[in-house]
Amino acid sequence: MRRSLVAVVLALVIALGIAPARAGQSVWSGLVMANNAPEPTPIPAELNKFEATLKQLFGYNQFQVIGQSRQSLKGGTDDWTTSSKYFSLHVNSKPGEKKSAYVLNLQLFQEQKLLLETEAKLSNRSPLVIKGPQVGDGQLVLLLVAE
Amino acid sequence: MFMKTFEEKWTAWVDGKLTEQELAEFKASLPDIDAAELDKQDSVKLGNLLRQELGLQPMTNVEFFHHQLQDEIRRESSAASPARHSSDAKQPRWSIGRLAWAGAASLAIFAVCTFFVMHEDTVGGQSGYLTQVINARVDPDVSPNATISMFETKEDKVTVLWVDGLQTLPSEYAAK
Repeated sequence: MRRSLVAVVLALVIALGIAPARAGQSVWSGLVMANNAPEPTPIPAELNKFEATLKQLFGYNQFQVIGQSRQSLKGGTDDWTTSSKYFSLHVNSKPGEKKSAYVLNLQLFQEQKLLLETEAKLSNRSPLVIKGPQVGDGQLVLLLVAE
Repeated sequence: MFMKTFEEKWTAWVDGKLTEQELAEFKASLPDIDAAELDKQDSVKLGNLLRQELGLQPMTNVEFFHHQLQDEIRRESSAASPARHSSDAKQPRWSIGRLAWAGAASLAIFAVCTFFVMHEDTVGGQSGYLTQVINARVDPDVSPNATISMFETKEDKVTVLWVDGLQTLPSEYAAK
């Protein structure tokens, strides 16, 4: 009987561990410039896990972080901005309906001009990649990773 | 009553346990009464000597022998019924009842896990436990030809918001 109880509790813990991002975690957000270079610089550590996917998605061989920030989620509403010289990504996070999830409201600005707005529920099991505008011969890519 | 052998009568005579009648009959049966009397005296002397020299020694470790005997009896008893032991060894560890309970508990755990995995809402056909894009929009005045789509990569489950048609910017906008 006691073994069964332990097993049920264990199953609950495992099941709850699958839930999306929650308090005590942090979110890394980055503005990344992708382009092709004859001698590409090594990919930043934050993007290491997704190198193959990024190259496959966008067809570029170089990815450089032009702006980044890491924000701890405190369980309530949080706001932060990730900026480069001309772009800024405003993030507003709030607890989801189930309190176990975080809903992020994202706004991409080119200086003062709003280019894109989206709302996403960020999970620690999968990052969010957003294709931004074409910049010169490259591409602006936005990345959000729950850690 | 039964007839005693000569040896029994002899022993009883030496020990002085014959009745008068038996004694008279026994003595009458002896061929040489004097030689028999000498033998009797020798036997009595020998008996006295043996009793004196080889008296019963008191046992000093009674408990030890008691335990030894009990162990031996136990071993012999268990060796005498090997069939019973082998039948015990062949008994399955889990009874049918316990197996049934274990099966029911496993099913319950599976159901709980399934419930918690499946109860996460799905938005736009995306998996509930992955990142979900709830909505996205661009300013139609700024980017009138923009199109938005979303998908998940198969390999590392990256959720992608794919926006095409945004205004192209000059390369100096790539500055940090």
